[in-house]
Amino acid sequence: MFEPQPMTKVIIAGSKDYMNIAIDAMYKHNVVHIADFVDEDEDFKIGKPHESITKLSERAVSLRSLASYLSIKGKEDIPNKYPEGAIIDTIDAKTEQLDVEVTEVTDKISEIESKIKDVKDKKRLLEPLKSFNLPLDLYTGYQSLAVFVGTLKGIPNISDITTDYELETAPYGRGSAISLFVPREFEDDVLKRLQEQGYATLPTLKGEGIPKDIIVDLDAQLTELQSEKQKSEEDLADLRKKHIEYILASDEYLSIETQKAEAPLRFATTKNAFIVEGWVPTKDLGLIQSDLDGATNGHVIVSVDRSEAVDVEKVPIALKNPLPSKPLEVLVRAFSLPKYNELDPTKLMTFMYPALFGFMLGDIGYGLIVIALGLLVSRVIKGQGMRDLAVIGVYAGVFSVIFGFIFNEFFGVEPFGHKGLLTFIEYPAVPRLDNVLTLLILTFVIGLLMLTLGYVLGFVNEYRQHGLKHAVFAKVSWLMMLWGGAIAVALVLPALSSGSGIQLSLGLIAGLVLLVVGFILMIMGEGAIGLTEVPTLLSNVLSYSRLLSIGVSSTGIALAVNKLSDALFFSKGGIFVIFGVLLLIAGHAINTVLGILDSGLQALRLHYVEFFTKFYRGGGMKYIPFGFERKYTEEN
Amino acid sequence: MVDPIGAGLIALSAAIAVGATGIAAALGEQVIGSAAIGVMAEDEGFFGRGLVMTVIPESIVIFGLVVALILLFVTLPSIA
Repeated sequence: MFEPQPMTKVIIAGSKDYMNIAIDAMYKHNVVHIADFVDEDEDFKIGKPHESITKLSERAVSLRSLASYLSIKGKEDIPNKYPEGAIIDTIDAKTEQLDVEVTEVTDKISEIESKIKDVKDKKRLLEPLKSFNLPLDLYTGYQSLAVFVGTLKGIPNISDITTDYELETAPYGRGSAISLFVPREFEDDVLKRLQEQGYATLPTLKGEGIPKDIIVDLDAQLTELQSEKQKSEEDLADLRKKHIEYILASDEYLSIETQKAEAPLRFATTKNAFIVEGWVPTKDLGLIQSDLDGATNGHVIVSVDRSEAVDVEKVPIALKNPLPSKPLEVLVRAFSLPKYNELDPTKLMTFMYPALFGFMLGDIGYGLIVIALGLLVSRVIKGQGMRDLAVIGVYAGVFSVIFGFIFNEFFGVEPFGHKGLLTFIEYPAVPRLDNVLTLLILTFVIGLLMLTLGYVLGFVNEYRQHGLKHAVFAKVSWLMMLWGGAIAVALVLPALSSGSGIQLSLGLIAGLVLLVVGFILMIMGEGAIGLTEVPTLLSNVLSYSRLLSIGVSSTGIALAVNKLSDALFFSKGGIFVIFGVLLLIAGHAINTVLGILDSGLQALRLHYVEFFTKFYRGGGMKYIPFGFERKYTEEN
Repeated sequence: MVDPIGAGLIALSAAIAVGATGIAAALGEQVIGSAAIGVMAEDEGFFGRGLVMTVIPESIVIFGLVVALILLFVTLPSIA
């Protein structure tokens, strides 16, 4: 019931002449998990890829560069699947033609872009000179004059060097732009002075005309270039729209063909034969056997390998759960896949995770929000992981609503009963803030039960893996200590707190005996090192108190939001009612987010840390069948 | 009749129980969390175990919260 999908180890062997047919057949069924062959020796060599691989790779490279030019990511949805036959015959010619079309447009775009860059560069250089009414050609070509054109901080003062100069300045950036003409003999002195003020020369521009006029002209050019660029980009978008289906389909086709061509790299081959080792879900064994036999006329056989005991480390794991439990697999996978001889906790989590979540959130209003969010996300988002989480959210929301009725909470308000909003509905609700001690004890009981379940599952795992004796030492011992301790504490603690002496009752003796016997068994099984683990029994049970703590904090925040908005705004009436409503919405929105995050993570933690550690190690290898889920193409 | 100083001390004790354990848990999670994120950058499959390790110190603050709750909801009413 809690096992992963049963797997059968198979050996597929046959003549090399039939290898490609066998690969096609295996690929089509998408069920064989190939165990890669790695140990080459004199007789068995790793197979060589099909000769078509070079051609396929070349095609894939050119197709993917096209896809990247057209910004096709490979995740798009297309309405119709492309027939594979229509690709095979035309792929070379069509890709080439597409390449020409696309390159023409992209070349044009990059040409325009480089022109735009030139114009912008030129404009940037002219910008400092635009306030000077001197034509460009007058800045160069003097024998007796030195010309300084550039930028610097502040305004230069060279009157102590020479009075015979021509200076124009204009504010530029944080400093100023200058054009300065001095007689050649003062060039060095002036340059030194300028450099003290952080002078940077502007490159000399060739050309004619006044800078201001040239800039106006450049701006016009820029506008024209940009509109040209936009037009070309529209052309590119048109091309994308026209060819996206073909490109996605051909890319998928090439991926499929490449995988098939590379498959022999995972096979063991001799001069004339090939051998594939792999795993097939036991339910699909008959199908693959008869199909390979039929396709190759009996030249390739699929035989079940019973030569050695199953090595659980090497069996690939496919989880097997009914549809309602499937989304929870994401939480198990996030921890680790089970080993082949381990129990898969997904089914248990389907109930337990939402229940713990609901116990913590425990509010009809917040629960409804969580359900709505879950439904919304599962509709809108396409990613499988997020959708799974959304479905888990819906389950968790339902339990939150159920516990909301039990705790009688609706956005922190009591909806039912004589103190509530709907006084005509009365039932024995358990408001959390009024029953802290009772609920605290209940959380310990929940912890006790969940740990017990964990140890029972652990017993089954140990029994399967190492036999009865080991299972008793490793798991029953802990279970006895857990319950012995729990009984002892349950009997001693009330007596201590009420001040009456401890009565040595039959129950207390039974508890202590359980505790001691369990302890001895554990020491016999695990040795003294087990001592270090004993305190975790207590902390694990106490850890379940978070079920109450998180819930009460969330209730407390909701209550605070309600009281604040009432005291600050609603009691004043008038325009303040609007502020009150805003505060209510903001406060409860924050509390919902906190509630979902905290309840979600803490429920997960109670599974991972407290529950899983009692029976679950994980470390299974994922089942990856040889094949492909076609999305854009269909076989003819 | 409620002893106001006693009630105040109980409320203060509850605040210290939550506050001090909160700081302690934060110090622990800071170190583990950054290390876990580092490992996740290398191997995303570490998420589950990383989360487990990161939230281990959180027990401290939960225990603090339990102590605070008992102080506020059990001890405080009993002296009133």
